[in-house]
Order: sequence, then C-alpha cells, then structure tokens
Amino acid sequence: MHIQQENRGVFISATRLPGKIRRTCILLFSLLLASRLHGQNQPVIHANLQGQVVDMKTKEPLIGATVRIKGTTNGATTDVSGKFTLVTGQKLPFVLEVNYVGYEPAEVQVAASPAVIALRELNHNLNDVVVVGYGTQKKVNLTGSIATVDQKTLANRPITNASQALQNVPGVFTNQTKGRPGADGAAIRIRGSGTLNNNNPLVLVDGIEYPLGDINPNDIESITVLKDAASAAIYGNRAANGVILVKTKGGKKGVFSLDYSFYAGSQRATQFPDAVTNTVDYMEGKNRALANEGKPAESSLALIEEFRNGTDPFIYPNTDWFKLMFRSAAIQEHNLRVSGGSEKTTFSVSLGYLDQDGIMIETSGKRYALNANVNADLTKKLRIGAGITGNFWYSKESAYSADDGNGEGGLMGLTYRGLPFQTPYAQDGSYADQWIRVPGHNFFRNPVALSREGFNKKDQFRTLANLFGEYQLPFNIRYKTTLAANLMYGINKYNYPAINLKNPKTGVVTPIGNTPARGVRQASENAINLTNFHTLTWEQRFGQHALNALAGFSMERFSDADFSAYNQGYLGNDLEELNAGSSSPQVSGRSGLSKLQSYFGRLNYNYRERYLLEANFRYDGSSRFARGRRWGFFPSFSAGWRLSEETFLKETGIFDNLKLRASYGRLGNQNLPLFSYVDAISLGQNYNFNGSVVSGAAITQVADPNITWETTDMTDIGLEAAFFKGRFHVEFDWFNKETTNILRQISIPAQVGNLAGPVRNIGAVSNRGYEVTAGWKDAFTNFRYNIEANLTQVTNRVTNLNGQRYFGSNTVIQEGSAIDSFFGLEAEGIFQSAAEVAAHAFQNSGTQAGDLKYRDVDGNGVVDNNDRVVVGNSIPRFVYGFSGGIGWKGFDFSFIFQGLQDVDTYLTGNLAQPFKNGAGVTREWLTDSWTPQQPSARLPRLTTSNGYPQNFQTSGFWVRDASYLRLKNVQLAYTFPQQWTAKAGIAQIKVFVNAQNYLTITNFEFSDPERNLTRADLVEYPNAKTLTAGLNLSLK
Amino acid sequence: MKKYLYLFLLPLLPACNNFLDVTPTDRFTQETYWTTKEQAEAALNGTYAALYYNVYAAGSVYTDALTPNSYQYNGDYNLISRGLHNAATGYFNEAWNGSYRGIGRANNLLANIAKVPMDAALKDRFIAEAKFLRALFYLPLWNNFGGAPLITAATDFENQGSLPRNKPEELLAQILKDLDEAAAGTALPVSYSGTDKGRATRGAALALKMRVLLYASRWEEAAATARQVMDLKAYTLFPNYRALFFLENEGNAEVIFDVQYRFPEFTHSLDISLDQQLGSAPLPDLLNDYYGTDGKPISESVVYNPQRPYENRDSRLQATVIVPGSQFKGATVTPIQYPSTGLGMKKYTIFKDNEKPVAAPTSNTSELNFILLRYADVLLSYAEAKNEASGPEQSVFDAINAVRGRAGMPSLASGLSREQLRAEIRHERRIELAGEGLYYHDLRRWRKADQLLNGEIRNLAGNRIDTRQFNATRDYLWPIPSIAIQNNPALTQNPGYNK
Repeated sequence: MHIQQENRGVFISATRLPGKIRRTCILLFSLLLASRLHGQNQPVIHANLQGQVVDMKTKEPLIGATVRIKGTTNGATTDVSGKFTLVTGQKLPFVLEVNYVGYEPAEVQVAASPAVIALRELNHNLNDVVVVGYGTQKKVNLTGSIATVDQKTLANRPITNASQALQNVPGVFTNQTKGRPGADGAAIRIRGSGTLNNNNPLVLVDGIEYPLGDINPNDIESITVLKDAASAAIYGNRAANGVILVKTKGGKKGVFSLDYSFYAGSQRATQFPDAVTNTVDYMEGKNRALANEGKPAESSLALIEEFRNGTDPFIYPNTDWFKLMFRSAAIQEHNLRVSGGSEKTTFSVSLGYLDQDGIMIETSGKRYALNANVNADLTKKLRIGAGITGNFWYSKESAYSADDGNGEGGLMGLTYRGLPFQTPYAQDGSYADQWIRVPGHNFFRNPVALSREGFNKKDQFRTLANLFGEYQLPFNIRYKTTLAANLMYGINKYNYPAINLKNPKTGVVTPIGNTPARGVRQASENAINLTNFHTLTWEQRFGQHALNALAGFSMERFSDADFSAYNQGYLGNDLEELNAGSSSPQVSGRSGLSKLQSYFGRLNYNYRERYLLEANFRYDGSSRFARGRRWGFFPSFSAGWRLSEETFLKETGIFDNLKLRASYGRLGNQNLPLFSYVDAISLGQNYNFNGSVVSGAAITQVADPNITWETTDMTDIGLEAAFFKGRFHVEFDWFNKETTNILRQISIPAQVGNLAGPVRNIGAVSNRGYEVTAGWKDAFTNFRYNIEANLTQVTNRVTNLNGQRYFGSNTVIQEGSAIDSFFGLEAEGIFQSAAEVAAHAFQNSGTQAGDLKYRDVDGNGVVDNNDRVVVGNSIPRFVYGFSGGIGWKGFDFSFIFQGLQDVDTYLTGNLAQPFKNGAGVTREWLTDSWTPQQPSARLPRLTTSNGYPQNFQTSGFWVRDASYLRLKNVQLAYTFPQQWTAKAGIAQIKVFVNAQNYLTITNFEFSDPERNLTRADLVEYPNAKTLTAGLNLSLK
Repeated sequence: MKKYLYLFLLPLLPACNNFLDVTPTDRFTQETYWTTKEQAEAALNGTYAALYYNVYAAGSVYTDALTPNSYQYNGDYNLISRGLHNAATGYFNEAWNGSYRGIGRANNLLANIAKVPMDAALKDRFIAEAKFLRALFYLPLWNNFGGAPLITAATDFENQGSLPRNKPEELLAQILKDLDEAAAGTALPVSYSGTDKGRATRGAALALKMRVLLYASRWEEAAATARQVMDLKAYTLFPNYRALFFLENEGNAEVIFDVQYRFPEFTHSLDISLDQQLGSAPLPDLLNDYYGTDGKPISESVVYNPQRPYENRDSRLQATVIVPGSQFKGATVTPIQYPSTGLGMKKYTIFKDNEKPVAAPTSNTSELNFILLRYADVLLSYAEAKNEASGPEQSVFDAINAVRGRAGMPSLASGLSREQLRAEIRHERRIELAGEGLYYHDLRRWRKADQLLNGEIRNLAGNRIDTRQFNATRDYLWPIPSIAIQNNPALTQNPGYNK
C-alpha cells in the first residue's frame, strides 16, 4: 500500500495521506516529505473495515465525509470515490458516526465489510447559515429581508466582474452598461432608486468597504444582499441603498483540496444599429434631407455618379465601420486554489488569471488576483485570523479612448459617426484620409488609425488586508476586533500619437486633424481606507428563550489622492515617458479625506425558534457634514413568527417552513461631495496677463451649511413558505421605502453670479413595491431538476419637493412622477397637410406637412416649453428573472434569464437621429420616413437633425422602449464518473460549455439594450455575447 | 501571551473629540477670505477669468456669421441666421450665463474689498478694474437682451434669485456709471508694464464707454469720449493691418483691451474652427465689398479686373479672407479647400501665408489674444459719432483717412455730404472690422438688419447655400433663455418669443 503511494505523483500521494499529518502541514512539499517518514510508524493491523459513503438519492459518492467509530477517536475520511478504510482492533458489528457538510449526520450500525452508507441531504432552506452585519445567523431565524448568492450559482460562468454575479437576485437590478475589459462592472440597484445622487449599495468584503469589481468572482464563497432596514440598519449612514456582504473562501477543517478551473472562449458584440453603409444611398439620402430643409445638395450628381461607377475600393468604398471596429475576441480564465485545515488552523490560498481581449479592436484587459485566508485557534479562548485579497487589473485601449472621452465619445463615438465613403487604409496600406469633406466631417479622424497608434494603459492594484482577533471573555461574552486596510494604487498612461493620413485619390499626406496633440499624459491615483472595529457578542439560553446581543464601535478613515502630468514636444511616436517630452508641461493634483465614527448594536431574542424579535441600531458620525449636523441615529426593529413550529401546524406536516415577518427601520445616506456644507472660494479661476499666469479665485458654488443625512424609512412585510419536503419554496415581500431629506444639487437662476447651486435636502421619494420568488426542485436516482422565478415591482415616486420642480436637459424631477422622468412635448402624430399645420397651435415658422405634431397642452395656441409633460420613465417598473437546471447522471444543464419591463430610454446621439452633426443615418430613415407619397410612414420627413431641430426637440415620439428579456447564461456541464477519475486520484473532473447573452428579445435596436437608461448617446462600450468552454479539476 | 491581549483594547480608548473635524485643503472659505492684498488680487483675476466665458470673447467672431459677412453651415449661428432660433437655443443661454458669471465675481469683489487691509491706491485701482469689467459684462444684457435683472450686491441666492428684469435704461445708466467711475481720476493708469499688461486701463474704460454711447446713439457724448481716448495719446495704428493679428504682435500700440489667451492653459479653438470647421466662412457679399486700390467699389473701380478679382484690391481683403489660388499656410489654396462658401476666414487664425504649420490644429489649442477694443475702432467711432452729431468736419475725415491710409487706401474725397460720409464710414467699419464680431451689433443699431439679413445667400460659385430670415418685430432682441425663465419665473420674455 505504501509502496503504491510512493509510486504516484507528488499531488496524489499528498492528497491521500492520513489526516493527522495533513492537519499540520501547509506546503505540499513538506507533505510529501512527511508521508515518507510517517510510513514507518503505522499501527499493527488487527482487522479492517472498508466502505463507501453515498448520497441517498443520487447514489453519488461523497468525498471527504468523516467516518468515526462511535465512542473512539478512530476515524477516517472518504476518498475521491467516497470510500474509506478503517483499521481497527474491534470486532463487527459496531456503530459508525458519519458526518458530511450539507448532509444530515448519521449513526449507522455496520455488520459487514464493505459497507455502503447513504446520507440524506439537508434541506438547505432550513439549515443555511447566512452572513449578516457583523456576524452570521441561521436563515430560518432571520427577521429581515435578505437574498443570497452562493458559489454554485457562480460556478463556471464567464463572469469578468463580480458585480455581474448579482444578476437574477430578487429585488436587485443589475445593469451592465459597459463591456470594456477592465471596466465592465454592473450598476446595482436594490429595490429601486431612493436618492437623486449615487444609488450604489454599500459593498463590504469580509466586513470591510471594498469595491465589488475588485474581487475575483472565483474567490467568493457567498454574497448576502441586505435589502430591508432590519438587516441593513446596523450599517446606518451608508445603508440606504442596501448593503452587499461578500465573504471570501476559507479553508475547511480536515479537508485538504486543490481546485483548478479553466475556461476559454470567444466574445462578440450583441447588437449594432442598421446603418446605411452604401455611399450612394448615403449621399442621396443626405441630399434629400437637405432639400427637405430648403438647403442645396451636398453631393453633386456628378460625384454620386462617379461613386456609382467607381471601381477602386480605396477611392470608392462602401464601408461598414462596425465591421471594421469590432471583432470576435478571445477570453480565458484560470483559477487555482489550495485549501485545507487541521483542528486548529484553516487556510485557503488562491490565484486567478483572466485574459480578455475586447470586442473592439486594440482593447484588452488582464486581471491577476490572489486571495489568502488563514484562521488559527491559538488557545482555547483566543482565535486570530488574517486575510489578503489582492487584485491587479491591467487594461489597454486607444489614447483616444475606446468609449467616452474626447468630446465625441472616443472611438465608439467615431464609429457611430463613421461614413461609408471613408475607409481605413489607402492603396499602399498606410492610413487613409477622406477625399471628400462634408460639414461635420471636415477632418477624418480615422478610427482604425487612432486605435492602432498610441495607447492608454491602465494598471490598477487594489488590496485588502485584514486581521482579526477574537477572545472568549467570561460570562459567554466574546470580544472581536478587526483591523483592515484597503489600499488602491492606479496609474494611467496616455501616449497620444502623431498620425499621418494619405488621401487615396490624390496621394497627398496630411497629419490627422482635431485629435489630441502628440504628447504623453501620466496620471496616478491612490486611496487608503483604514477600518477598525470592535464588537462584543453575548449569547445565552434560558430554557426555551435564546438571547443574542452585539455591541460595537468602529472608526473609518478614507483618504484618496490623484496626480496628473502632461508633456508635449516629442520627437516621433516611439518614446512614451514624460521625461522624453520638452514643451507645454501641465500638472494637476488633489487629495481628499473623510472619516466616520460609529457605535452600533443588535439584540436578538427567540422563544423556541418560533417567535423571533430583533432590534438594531447605529449611531453614526460623519465628517461630510458641519459640526452639529454630523451625528445620526439609525434604529430598526423586526419580528418573525414561524408558524410552522406551532404544534397545530407541525403536526399536519404540510409545511417545512412557514414564517411571517415584519420590519421597520431607518437608514442613512451620506453620499455627497466632500465639504458641500462649506461656503468656499475656489482657486484655479486663473487668468494670464501678458503671457504669465496669475492665480484667480472666485465663488463658484452656493453652499448650504445646514445639509444633513438623507434618511430612508423602510417597512417590509414578508412571508416565507416551504412545502413538500423542501421541494417547493415561495417567498413574498412587500416593501415601502420612504426617503426624506433627499440631497440634491439644485440649479439656481444664473442671474446670481451664474453659480452652481447648493446641495440641499430638498424633498422625499418613495419606492414601494413587492418581490416574489418561487422555486421547485426535486431529485431522483440519477436525475434532478430545479426551477426558480422571481419578480420585483417597484413604483418610484417623488412625494415632496416643497413645491419646486427641477429640470435636467430632457428630464424632470417633480412631485407625483418618478425621479428623472423624461419630460418633453407630447407628439400627436405627423402633419399631413399645410392646412392641418395652419389649423394647429403654432409650433414654428417653418412647420410643414411631414413634421411632428405636438399637443398644445395648455391650450394657448402656441407650442412651447410650457406644454411639456412626462413622456417616459427611466426606472424599470418590473425586473424579473427565472432560472433552472436539469441534471442526469453526470450531465447538468442550467440557464438564467433576466428581464426588464416598462422602462424607457431617450436617445439623441449619432445614428439615433439622422445625419446628426454630419454623422450617418439608419436605413429606416431612407425607407420609412414621411413623404407625400408615403403619408403613413412611421417617421417624420427626412431632415438632418441639427438643421431642422423642431422635429427633434424632446418629445414622446423619441422615447424608446428599453424593455428586454435576455438569456443571460446557459450552461451544459458533464462530470466524469468518479469510478473513472478516482483511478487517477482525482476527486472531480467536470467539463462545460457556457453561453452568455446569446438570446435577447427586445424592441430596442440601436445597441445592446442593457445600457445606462438616462444616457442620450450610444458611446458606451457594448456588451458582449460570450461562448466559452472549460473544465474543473479537483483533488482531495 | 495573555498579557498582550489588552493591546486589542487600545483602539477602544475614547477617540479624540475632533476625530471628525476635517478642513478643506484645496479652497478658502468665505469666513477666512478677504484678509490680504493677494486674496483681493486673486478675486480680481478671477473676474478677468470670467472673460473667457463672455459672449464678447474670442467666440464673438462667429456673430459675423449672422451677417452678410460670413456663414456657418451648422449650429446655433446658422439657426439664428435662418430665424429658426427660440428661447431654448443654447447660444442665448451661454451669453446670459457668461454675463452673470462675470457680474457676480465683480460684485463679490466690490462688496468685500473695503475690508481688505492694503495700499489705498492699489485698492482704488482694483475697484476701477472691477467696475470696468462689470460694465463689460452688463453690455450684452442691455444691448442684446434689452434688459435684465440689475444686480450690484454680493451674490446672494436667497435675495437675488427671484428678481425681475430691469429696464434697459437702468442697465445703461449703471454701465455708464461704472465706466465713469472707473475712468475718473487716476485710479486706472494709462498703461501697464510687464505682467500687469492686459489689465484694464483708463483708455479701456473710456473706449468701452465710447462703444456703449455709440450703441446708444448718444452721438455727442460718444464723439467726446472717443476724443478723450485719442487725447490720451497712448495708442497708434499698428503699421501693418495683417500683422496686427499676429501672435508676435499681441499687445501692440493699437490694442486698447484684449482678452488674453495662452497655450496650454487658456485657449480657444479659432484656428481649427475658422480654417477647417468653417465656423465663420466669408461670403461673396463681403468679398465684393472691398474696394479697388483706387478707393472705389468694384462696380466703379478702373483697376478691378473681374478675371483677376483678387488683384488691385484693398489690402485688407487678403488680410481677412482666404481666397482660392492665394498662398496660405505655405501652400496654394485649392478651389475646394473651403467647401462651405469657397472662402476661408484668415483673420484670427494663427497661420501665416508662407509658412507651413508645424502641426495640424486641434480644438482648444489656439492662443491668439482676442482684441476687444482697438484704436482703429476708436477712430471710426469718433468719425461716425461726430458726423452724426455735427456733420462732416475735418476731424471726421482725418480719423477715417488714418484708418484707410494704414491699409494703403487713398483718402476720401473731401466735400462729402453727411449722408455720403455716413455711408463711407459704415462701409469702412465693415471692412476694417470684418471678422471681429462687431458688424452684427452695428447692423442692429443701424436698424439695417431687417434689410440685409433676409433672403438667399450664395457661395463663390453663385449657388444658393441657404435662405436667411430676420424678423424685424422680434429679432432685434434676443430671447431671454428658457432655462433662465424656468429657474426664475419672474423674468418676462421679449416680444415674439416663446418661453
């Protein structure tokens, strides 16, 4: 037996070592060494018992189950085939105690060898422990509204950003608005939008504030979303938008394992507009639009004819810029984790590597992540632990930026502006210029040239180091303190190139126009957040009464700084350091500091786990407010009644769980710019006299020294039920979230020095709605399936603004409407004749047949700003999703759908409107716009959008339905039978294929519908649909 | 081991009471400001900085595109020239906001400087500079908007946010009062040296007052004020009209007041906008208004040759307009180089005729100072005002002939009637100041806009490029921006405009 082991590889022999040694070792190498020494000390064999531990339903072997002879310390752990061998001096029969995580413990009498022991899987809903604020709690005893995501849901999906992991969580709306590698986090909204400011929830990783995007999804053990005030109030002044608690993976006692996972695949863009890519069509269309405006043609008939007959594709191209700028891009990810533990120490160490090319050319990102957790019981009373999470992002894009930036919206903007007569390369392969100039395209900013030359490289490193100590004091009191540092350092380097373009017709070479000058910009940013908190917890049972109490104190300090330098005067494009430049240096920098000080506590009481009561409070002080306005008190109360524990119901056996719960609490939001309360005189209002800069100062903003917290009062009533032996579960929550003292920067009349308005507590918003989740699951021999659906409905309404209205460019905030509702004229159709124009309220001097007809709401005979009404809403009313899975033997199939319903977006960007500032046009404008011959066309008569604004002013006509239903993820996996893999000493091999975003049902046609709904342009880097395949390998 | 455990308790010690006190390190607060001369000076500099946002800064050259001088194919100026603008057109809001930005800063300085301990003479100068700037910022509110809230106290949202419009006369009175006080005595010097050059001088205050009076058609006062500027003997015409606008000649003896730009901090985009983006493309109407070198219109000139239309013309033509076949940026201008009208605007680009630019221009890299008041304007204003006030006299001829002479043009024939002289003066103003953003305001005050700003405009080839509309009952005033009315419903709208 020992000889056999030694013949195997290092890993395998290490993983099959007896437990005693394993517990004391961390390094594989020392394990191997130890195994050789230990082999000489085996006890004398008297008898042995062999057996296998399996799942009662599926009959699949359970790996790592502990088997012990009752009343002794003699035990073993099952191997990759679920098998164990006990060496014992006792005689059969005897009683074995068998334990396995997630299964009911069993005591079995064994009479013969080999023995097969079947374990029953625990009902998860009843015994799950969930992470809550500053602790954990049994899920059944919760009185608040909480959603959780576990590793299973996340496994093997090509999630490049942990925020994407919250898709399909009830009550949570995730919106991934960008797909650029390294910048593809999703916006998260929990139960609607409660504020006019930042609606992002508070994210805590292992108890410390940390951005969700900077944690490797593979390192996440569980995510808990605290949705109601009862659960979130213990985080007081930052909890109003909900709280997300992330727990990273740790080691397990007695189980040593090595896990490796890998996938690779390819990504493509989901959707682009149907732009006209034929030059002749484009020119004729533009001429028609101009003629409709009463303007002369832009392209002469001769030019159009020349194009029609031209054969040289470099001179007479018909370019589809979307095809040129986007590609099928590779993605791969590797994760390796080693974890384990002894009786006193557990550890987990992991490494992750993600390599993602962007779907836009010349964009890419890489992430290196590490995570380590170590916990040790130093004495019976003292426990310490430490964790490190490190994340290094490297991403690359054009210096012109892939999206946003440079006025037009970077290369996305240029792509949406690209015209069919422009082409990327001239005949000799050099970058091409355009040989036709049209207004709005006086220069050709060749997007391919701008992608390939120069760069913007970003390196960002973030690490969370945390250390805790826990000590058992007398009277059942435990003291715990945590010290943590969240450090970020980022460096951004732009190398702006000099580019020459060649006119493909004349051969003339000229420098590219209206792009940033040749130069280098280097910017660095850093942030240091320090957290220290202390808690005392006390647990006591008095007969059937159980009492838990927690009291704590915390101090947090957030500092950040940035610095940027720029230089020009470079010889050529090769050098990329600031020092290599010689002229026009620029520099800027700043730093900021804020602090929080808090006291908090919690009291839990339950009687027979039947009647549950909980109270939380937090008393928070924040440096973001003036003295005297700093401190806020945030309490919450909740109660639960587990009807299923009442004898009269328990006896019926219908319910596995039936719980009614209710909560009320108050939360705060302090998310506003630093020093908003200070009447400041800003510097940097400089001027120059005779070529030398003089410093200037001015008041630029009004301040309101009386501003204070936004407070959210939230009520939640919930019902949870599970029937049919845990097969069916349903959960319903009704909630009412009333936010008062909403902070908003108001705009004030420009006549007061054209100052920016103060940030003020201006009013109240309510988010009222319900969430419902229902699921069914069952398993038989070799077959299992599950399905779950959820729906959240939220009605957002501004309830009080003290009579004021606040306007955005095409939105309004007014009492009775949802926040930032789209606000414009009400389009009534298209004018069919001059007589109809004359009979209608006056719109504009040039109005004619084929123009949009607007309703004269106030009936004064003139259509103007006073006729605006709410024409759309940007907050989805329904967010829903469903997911499911089927398994047969080793095969598992699963899917996740996500949908939004009853939500709008408003577009005014390039291609969303025809010939916008010289951009192109979508095909429908050429085929489905009004003409006298085509009076029933959907679109008004064809004009350029800038040249004829009256059809393009904000109106209901341009509000677009942004609802969608999307197959977010579908996965097919196969786990190789253990009897095969066990022979190779492998616990598990699983292979899988995965498709993400492959099916979307929507009416929105200009880009991916999963977008920032209040943005009017289309310049965000698009989402990808991703097809991947990979494997999981597990050694134990 | 146990004895070290209490280390964990250390952070529990009562935190300092001032743990949460954080003070800003990047800005002053109003409680602590206004204590030193440097702070007062910075506040004054900040008021100058508001010039960059003002409608009379570099961007004002585009107002020529509202006149027969030039054309903008797209954007707000195009809309306004076609009569399709309304209260929501962005340009008016920028103009309104830009004015009040400067007014608020000037007001804050004037309201607080009394308490600053500093040299009295310097304090007087700062006050006079601020008053000059405040008058300048109020000018469009009076001249173009026809009245707006008159605010002279420190910015105060609660008390000033709902003030209604004041009558134009009240604004005019305040502007003249500020300029009189600024120009009075010796608070302002006649000139500055070194790094103070570019601040408001006594001449600037007087020249601005002259312009205001000219716009108000208060001829005698305008002529007298112009005479005061001339009598300062501080200014002369720069010998070369084209070089007057060269970077290396910034701040020359003709410049009375300019908005000062500097790359890379304080820039505009006129180089790229005029040369490439056709932000203000000259029209043939302007081209044809330049006289022959004999001082006669091309319809009468004997030196004019329609086959070679750019030869033997007023030298200011090619100093202002880029014509096909000429040399510009070190190359021959091709016929399609300026596709909008066939012509390009040369004035206020940084480029030379015979030098190839080192790099292609980009947005926000132009640094040529924008001259707001120059001596030729004073001479022409004097001529106009004097002729209107008291008819032709030698001083009128002298003034206008000085301007013509600098461009190499012959003197006017003597003995012109007041009406003939008026026509010549107005023509001279158009030619001398073309591309400097003044013609639009001149056409409005001459009440010529409804005659000249209606109808088709054509490009160099004679093809129609657009049709303009100017509504005489509405367009002499700009609309009060709809955003301003939205934020302060007490503001009334000008006739003919919606809200």
